[in-house]
Amino acid sequence: MATKIRRLILTAGWFIVTLVAGLPLFGIIVGLWPSVTISWDDVSHFFAYNGLASSILSTLFLSLFAPLLALYIGFMVYSQYRFNPRWQALEKRLAPLLSLPHLAVALGLVYLFSSGGLLWSSLWGIFGATAPEWLGLPHKSIATMLLAISIKEVPFFLLIFSALGRQLPIKNWLLQGRALGYSEMASWWLLVFPVLLKQSRLALLAAMAYSLSVLDISLLVGPNIPELYAVVLYNWQTGFTVEEQNVAFIGNLVLIALLSMLIAGIYLHEWWSVTTLRRHAVKRTSLKIVPISRLFTHWLGFFSLLTLAILVTFLVWSLGWNNQEIVQSSSAINWSFSLWQDEWFFIQAPLINSLYIALCSAIIGVLTTLLALELQRQNKHYLPDYIWLMAILLPQLSMVYGWQISHTAIHGGYHSGWVIMSHLPFTFAYSYLVLRGPFQSLDRRYELVAASFGYNYWQQFWKIRFMLLRPALLSALAIAFSVSVAQYIPTLMIGAGRVTTITTEAVAIATGNEQSITAIYMLVQAVLPFVAFLLASVVSQRLRGSFDVSH
Amino acid sequence: MFRINNCQIFIENGCIELPDICLQNGELLVLTGPSGMGKSTFLHWLLGDTVEHAKVSGEIILNDIQLNPLNIEQRRLGLLMQDVHLFPHLRVIDNICFALPSHLKNEKDKSLTQHQRRELALNMLNEIDMGYVANHFVEQLSGGERSRVGLVRALANEPKALLMDEPFAALDPNTSEQVSQWAFSQLRTKGVPSIMVSHDLNNIPPQAQHMDLADFYRSL
Amino acid sequence: MSVKHPMLLAIVMLLLVSTGGWPLAHGQEAQLANATKMANSPQWQKTLNEAKGETVYFYAWGGSKPVNDYLRWAAREVASRYKVRLRHVKVADISEAVSRLKAESGNKSAIDLLWINGENFSFLKQQELLLGNLWTGIPNAALLATQALSLENDFGVPIDGFEVPWGVGQFNIIATNGLLATNSLETQNRKITPESILQAAKQLPGRLSYPRPPEFHGTTFLKQLLVALSDSDARLFAYASPEAQATLLPLLWDYLDQLHPLIWQQGRAFPSSNTEQLALLQQKTLDLTVSFNPNQLIKEQKEQRLPLSAQRLYFSQGAITNSHNLAIPKGAQSPAAAKVVINFLLSEQAQQQKLQGSWGDPTVITPLLDPASTLPSQQELHSSWQQVIEDQWQQKYGA
Repeated sequence: MATKIRRLILTAGWFIVTLVAGLPLFGIIVGLWPSVTISWDDVSHFFAYNGLASSILSTLFLSLFAPLLALYIGFMVYSQYRFNPRWQALEKRLAPLLSLPHLAVALGLVYLFSSGGLLWSSLWGIFGATAPEWLGLPHKSIATMLLAISIKEVPFFLLIFSALGRQLPIKNWLLQGRALGYSEMASWWLLVFPVLLKQSRLALLAAMAYSLSVLDISLLVGPNIPELYAVVLYNWQTGFTVEEQNVAFIGNLVLIALLSMLIAGIYLHEWWSVTTLRRHAVKRTSLKIVPISRLFTHWLGFFSLLTLAILVTFLVWSLGWNNQEIVQSSSAINWSFSLWQDEWFFIQAPLINSLYIALCSAIIGVLTTLLALELQRQNKHYLPDYIWLMAILLPQLSMVYGWQISHTAIHGGYHSGWVIMSHLPFTFAYSYLVLRGPFQSLDRRYELVAASFGYNYWQQFWKIRFMLLRPALLSALAIAFSVSVAQYIPTLMIGAGRVTTITTEAVAIATGNEQSITAIYMLVQAVLPFVAFLLASVVSQRLRGSFDVSH
Repeated sequence: MFRINNCQIFIENGCIELPDICLQNGELLVLTGPSGMGKSTFLHWLLGDTVEHAKVSGEIILNDIQLNPLNIEQRRLGLLMQDVHLFPHLRVIDNICFALPSHLKNEKDKSLTQHQRRELALNMLNEIDMGYVANHFVEQLSGGERSRVGLVRALANEPKALLMDEPFAALDPNTSEQVSQWAFSQLRTKGVPSIMVSHDLNNIPPQAQHMDLADFYRSL
Repeated sequence: MSVKHPMLLAIVMLLLVSTGGWPLAHGQEAQLANATKMANSPQWQKTLNEAKGETVYFYAWGGSKPVNDYLRWAAREVASRYKVRLRHVKVADISEAVSRLKAESGNKSAIDLLWINGENFSFLKQQELLLGNLWTGIPNAALLATQALSLENDFGVPIDGFEVPWGVGQFNIIATNGLLATNSLETQNRKITPESILQAAKQLPGRLSYPRPPEFHGTTFLKQLLVALSDSDARLFAYASPEAQATLLPLLWDYLDQLHPLIWQQGRAFPSSNTEQLALLQQKTLDLTVSFNPNQLIKEQKEQRLPLSAQRLYFSQGAITNSHNLAIPKGAQSPAAAKVVINFLLSEQAQQQKLQGSWGDPTVITPLLDPASTLPSQQELHSSWQQVIEDQWQQKYGA
């Protein structure tokens, strides 16, 4: 009887876990299921789209190099900070820095550094002149996209490195390297980098898949001659003629092909960089990248300042600052909270929706992750990560498209329940990414000790494993929460716009390019995850988990 | 009385056939041997932990009860490891409370309240003059203190036997000698039969039984 | 039913009083009488009753604060008057709503009301996804200024009661002072030609641009240029035959070939929309933007977002004029309430608020019509030209 119940529970557990982790693949299959017959005409129509080649090339370039750039910068920052008193400060501030949404970073950069942006126009405004165009960050270009994505992904890679670093004897490697006469920086590159690079393949792929199909920031700061591929594809997907639908279908296939090219790119880059480093190690020539690393000694200060500057820019805009007044009545800027007062009433409903959806999907996502990890531990066999991380590895556009088709087919209503379900695969995947390390590396002898005291399986799990994981669970919750807050495509496509969140409102309002009101929504959107991280860090400082102890 | 009969430990390329072991209450057996001889494997088998890399066969009898069919939580053997594994999320006193058996009753034959359990734990600490660490967390303790608290915690569970896996190996030689002397006298007074795995032949108390696994190795 | 009756009558009376001082034109009198008659009909009373307590999900572009504010005002009004909840579902692009309707294929829809025109409307009408007979079913539709404005077609497609005009757009250009040489001394209504634009681009390279087609405003800019360059060729108002394309379009492409090297970023990037271009004008990155709202300049100046010296201009052939409209999907879950909302939005009070408030969108009903504030209008091109222009533009300049 007991074994029967146990088996039933196990089966139910696997069922839930498979459902959540399998939704992305399901979406892709449904989304790519040929519902129409594709003729050669459609194929040739697709390939005849002017600018397709350059659109694909620039998209590939962007999604390959922006994450790689972020990875290299992340590694240089990591190597500068790891065995340094500043490491504690970095670890503490990492999560809040990670919480600024991509869209906010991209828009913030443009609002700040474009020629008409806050920085240059106020500098030039003092002299009553207009800043020259060449000086500023271009409003729409691949360079701006590259900058925005790579800046934004650095904290992500730092988080990954810091998790990986805990399990590697980096200190010993460095000691050995230095004992053999290499400088500390050279040892980092020759000994640590190849290992970290191999172990961050999935993180790299996640960042690349994101850049490949990100829509909101491509629309707002991406180039449009040619447009990035995600924008072109989205236009087809939302197109309504039969021809556009067929082309959208082919476009989705091409998106998957691009993803596999990026995977090839990851391996190619890895091979290239490892052989280059090995050649340097064998020939003992000096590495050119070593002096560059030193540039990132002050990254934390720089990045905190940038984050602050972006938030201040939004705040200043939302309080009524604009370029006209600088010129018209030079000194007297009419600061006013009237816009906040006007909007606050209308922000509440989407704010509550955002909070509710993010809280539910984060909690369920983290619990499902815990279930998935525990089931695998029971099985004594952990499945490869990519199976669990499909939600962040597969292109979101095609995936959610499939969900929308199924959602309409079963006449699902438009309420937050469905939206929570559509966020679940993402909160699950991100909390899996965060929790797997701590969960797997948790010393099982703690449970052994508890067992020797007579505690049964459930008691061991809740009283020991769960309790020890609390700090990690809290940061997983905060990350899952902010992932859910930032979801745009699933919320829009499954909620049909009836379920409004801060993010759907922010994107819709941002299309109007009215900076003052866009700034309000951006601020609120950025503050939500920030508060979540702040709460998580405050609470986890009062908790003691397995990682407070120096083993 | 703790007895282990017909015990065989299968390791790579070989097998160790242990002679039957019989420990009276308060007696200590020290197992030594080169690494790879399955010392820890043997200990974990006794504890009831699933052994993956090697197999151990034999019969475990504690106070006339056969332990083999029981799982860890039913065997209730104490365990003390090199890294004591005090729970980092609990204060020292709560670590000990965690180990106190649930069946403890007060004078009115009712289950102990939380307060009473804490008091009991504090008494145990005071007995060895360590009441001052009661409200500390594990990272605030020195290595020697950890070992002592670890033993107190293990004994708080009222184990019928105690298993120790190199419990003092991480301590510096002076502390190690002090703590082990203290520990063995504690075990003798409480009358708990214990088995200790060690690679250190210096700290074996004279009255302890000693077994070197290498003596019983047979290659296959 | 009978409770509502006198109240409505009172409202209609009020409407009459407010225009009372002036001798009503004969047509207008008839229109008002018609509206009153319909409002009193048992059928409309039934609609009002059905609508009570319903929620209307109104899918409309959410990027404009003035529009959002206006809809918030309207929501308060319909709630207190008709006990109807109006929810503005802000969309980034209304084509999202259109493809949703297609996916739902006429079944129970998430959408009760939507704000559309042009190809979106023509597709939905052709797919039979819209509720018909709106003009005859909604009392205030009788007030529509069908004689003064061309409201019966939407980009050459007959409306046939599948949508109701809500406002009028007239294509105009907002530019910094003295940017474009004009042929008039009036400050408000200055006319421009393709030549004057090219001249300005030569004088101030990198300061002009237009929204990237197929964005609606960008395409209209091209249409205006084409009309001007071809001297209003009659073939533009008929089906775009291959011959007509071959003779007329090169005029446009030759012109753009000259213009593009002189505009913002040498034509290697364009603003994504008119609103983005407006922001660039406000930031002084550009000297010109395009708009479909003839009152936009005044409103922006009132909010101190554009300098008082900025000017409104239009092409000398006239401003391309079209209506933007309201439609109800066939699968709408509260069609009665949606009709009540449309009826309110066409009321004199709502149209007045739309014109006078921060939005400034011109009215479509006869009682408020003010010919003086209307720009001379230019007929829309035949709808077949739109796709042709957009496709060839993408082919020539899209990469």
